[in-house]
Amino acid sequence: MKRLITLTVNDKKYEVAVEPNMTLVDLLRYELGLTGTKKGCEVGDCGSCTVIMDGNPVNSCLVLAVQANGRDILTIEGLETDEGLHPVQQAFVDKGAIQCGFCTSGMILSAKNLLDRNAKPDEAEVRMAISGNLCRCTGYQKIVEAIKSASGWREGSGKSHE
Amino acid sequence: MLLPKFDFHEPTTIEEACQIMAELGQKAKLIAGGTDLIVNMKRKVLSPEHLVSLSRIDALKNVDLSDGPLRIGACVTAAALAESEGIKRTFSAFSKGASVLGTPLIRNLATIAGNLVSARPAADLPPSLMAYGAKVVLKKSAGERSVALEDFFRGPGQTVVGKDEILTEILIDKPLGYTGAGYIKLGVRKTLEISLVNVAAFISLDSQDGSIQRARIVLGAVAPIPIRVPSAEQILVGEKPTETLFVRAGETAAQDSRPIDDFRGSAEYRRDMIEVLTRRALEMAFNEARSHE
Repeated sequence: MKRLITLTVNDKKYEVAVEPNMTLVDLLRYELGLTGTKKGCEVGDCGSCTVIMDGNPVNSCLVLAVQANGRDILTIEGLETDEGLHPVQQAFVDKGAIQCGFCTSGMILSAKNLLDRNAKPDEAEVRMAISGNLCRCTGYQKIVEAIKSASGWREGSGKSHE
Repeated sequence: MLLPKFDFHEPTTIEEACQIMAELGQKAKLIAGGTDLIVNMKRKVLSPEHLVSLSRIDALKNVDLSDGPLRIGACVTAAALAESEGIKRTFSAFSKGASVLGTPLIRNLATIAGNLVSARPAADLPPSLMAYGAKVVLKKSAGERSVALEDFFRGPGQTVVGKDEILTEILIDKPLGYTGAGYIKLGVRKTLEISLVNVAAFISLDSQDGSIQRARIVLGAVAPIPIRVPSAEQILVGEKPTETLFVRAGETAAQDSRPIDDFRGSAEYRRDMIEVLTRRALEMAFNEARSHE
């Protein structure tokens, strides 16, 4: 039997009826049309479905939609503002940290969460923060460089300091 | 990958959850972080008719570091455990275990009780918890009991938890002065890794430069359940801690363990690693014990 849940996604309130066996990633992609969140392994290994739930990045393939009832979700679509891309997004573009793009949404959300907690992480902290997000293209180097270049953006004008 | 269909229950109190489990018994599975259960359900290893979620029970999310034993609610996440300064100060080996479980994303979902009831031989939390002498509280409508973690595991995926019981709390007595512990996880990667061998050691000294009063060594991933090694512990008790003593304890632990060959590593390699890691974990425990008054 479907259940009615309410959740906030990217500052917008949604009320949706969901089957108990629907996962959060499927709710986001198929019911809400937010396809920026990717589905990779579907068993919590690859991190391409990363979303930020109540301030913590999680694998949305391992969360039931009903468990997200009342929660606050941030997906990749919620990062861009009228002023443009989020500094972490911009840094990924500037540094060539995107190849096929499948891991990018998750990488950026894990990186944003790190920089929200730790404005000046060292390289080990950056690598640890994205250790749940697999990238099969880049070898991670440019991703790490992008995150390091985006660090400290809060002190600047809101743009990555190049 | 579709999940099998099930009915979903979301009690808000422990009593209500116990009642539901008493009624549904075999047909129901408890879900907390879901990082293990949902994967097993997607792979059709499990297809329970009912899922009973513990996520809305606030009483299961507390960490109580005040007087008496450390009390950790079933639904406290690995991330919350790893980030707790209080836990790091008093139970460093346990804090370490929580900080290397899964990935940062998994740690934000996975709970302490889930890591125990899933009873995987290589799990990251049981070795240190057993080394600290932790107990778990199992509740059902008819009452509750407490079980030493040492007596909790029965085999891979098997524990003493009854069909109508819920693991609600983990208790660890605060160690007295001059005690310390260490935890080492050995894998080929730094993250998302299932240990080849993991070792926890606990030592208590009778004074800063004194002899070893109590010792516990727990090995994971080398038997169907995490095991203590009494033969190696006996070598330590009553003796002055020295490098030679720790080497002997490591050798004994290696001799008395029965690891298996599998695709992750050979039994021979694992046995060699038990020797080295036991010694290192004991050194970590000893160094902490000397400085923990």
